Amino acid sequence: MKELNPLLHSQLRLAVMSILMNVEEADFVYLKEKTESTAGNLSVQLDKLSSAGYISIEKGMSGKRPRTACSVTSEGRKAFEEYVETLKTYLGI
Amino acid sequence: MEERKLTEKESLEVITAMIARTKERYIGNGNILLMWGYLVVCVTILLWIMLATTQQNVWNWLWFAIPLIGFPVTIIMARKEQRENGVTTYSDKVTSRLWTIFGISELVLMLMCLGFSLFLNINCWASMLVYSCIGAPLAEIAQGIFLRENSLCAGGIVGLAVGLVTLCCVASGVVLNANWYLPLFIFGFVCMMIIPGHVINHKAKVNYKVKNI
Repeated sequence: MKELNPLLHSQLRLAVMSILMNVEEADFVYLKEKTESTAGNLSVQLDKLSSAGYISIEKGMSGKRPRTACSVTSEGRKAFEEYVETLKTYLGI
Repeated sequence: MEERKLTEKESLEVITAMIARTKERYIGNGNILLMWGYLVVCVTILLWIMLATTQQNVWNWLWFAIPLIGFPVTIIMARKEQRENGVTTYSDKVTSRLWTIFGISELVLMLMCLGFSLFLNINCWASMLVYSCIGAPLAEIAQGIFLRENSLCAGGIVGLAVGLVTLCCVASGVVLNANWYLPLFIFGFVCMMIIPGHVINHKAKVNYKVKNI
C-alpha cells in the first residue's frame, strides 16, 4: 500500500492544508484561530509547507500592521488530493 | 493543535473538522453596499432639489460626485474588510471581480459620454442611467446567488425592473423628466442597496452574537 505523504501526515500541517484547500487565501491570524495553534508552531509548519512548495506565503503590510497571507499552490493542491486518495485506500472508503 | 503524527482515522477527522470550520456561512457586512446606496440617494435627492428649484441642467454635473467619492471609498473599505476577515473565499473573489468589471466599465462609459458631449456635442448621458440600472442589479443578483442571500436577489430584481423601464424610455424617446424619473431612480437604489445592506448587517450582527454566546 502507498505510503501517506509524511509532510502532510501531521496534525497541524494537514489542518492548514485542509483550510487552504477551501479558501482562496487566508492570513496567519485566521489560520491560527481556526487551527487553535500557537503562533510559533504555526509559523514553523507554514515554513515547512512553503519550503515543499505546497503553499505560497506573501508577507506585506495591511495598513500599519504586518500581514502574512497564505494560499495553496497547484503542487500543494495535487499533493493534498493524492493524500486524500491514499487515505481512502487505508480506510477502505 | 500540535505538530504530531496521526492515525488514518484522525487524519480524516482533522480534514473534516477544518472543512467544517471554513464552511461557516459568511456573507460579510453590507457596509460597502450601504455606502453606495446612501451616496447615490443623497446625490440624486440633491440633484432633484437643485433641478426643481433652479431649472438649470448644469446641476447634472453632480452625477460625477458619485464615482469620485464612491470608488476611492470602496477601495479603502474593501481593504479594511479583508484585513478584518483574514480570509478570502472563492465567492469573495468572484463577487469582487464582478463589481470591479462593472465599476471599470461604468467609468469607461462615463468618459465616453463626456467625450461625446465635449467633442461631438452629442448628449448620450442617458446611457449611463441605463447601464447603472441594469449592470448594477445584474451584478447584485449574481452576488446574491453566490452568497445565497435573498435580500440581494430581491433588491437586484427591483433595481433591474427600474433599469428596464429606463431602457424602454430611452429607446422609445420618452424624456426622463427629473420630476418622475429621479424618484423612481431613488426608489430603485433604496431597494437595491440600502435595504439589502441593512439586512446583511443585521444578519452579521445576529451571527456575531450567536457565535459569542
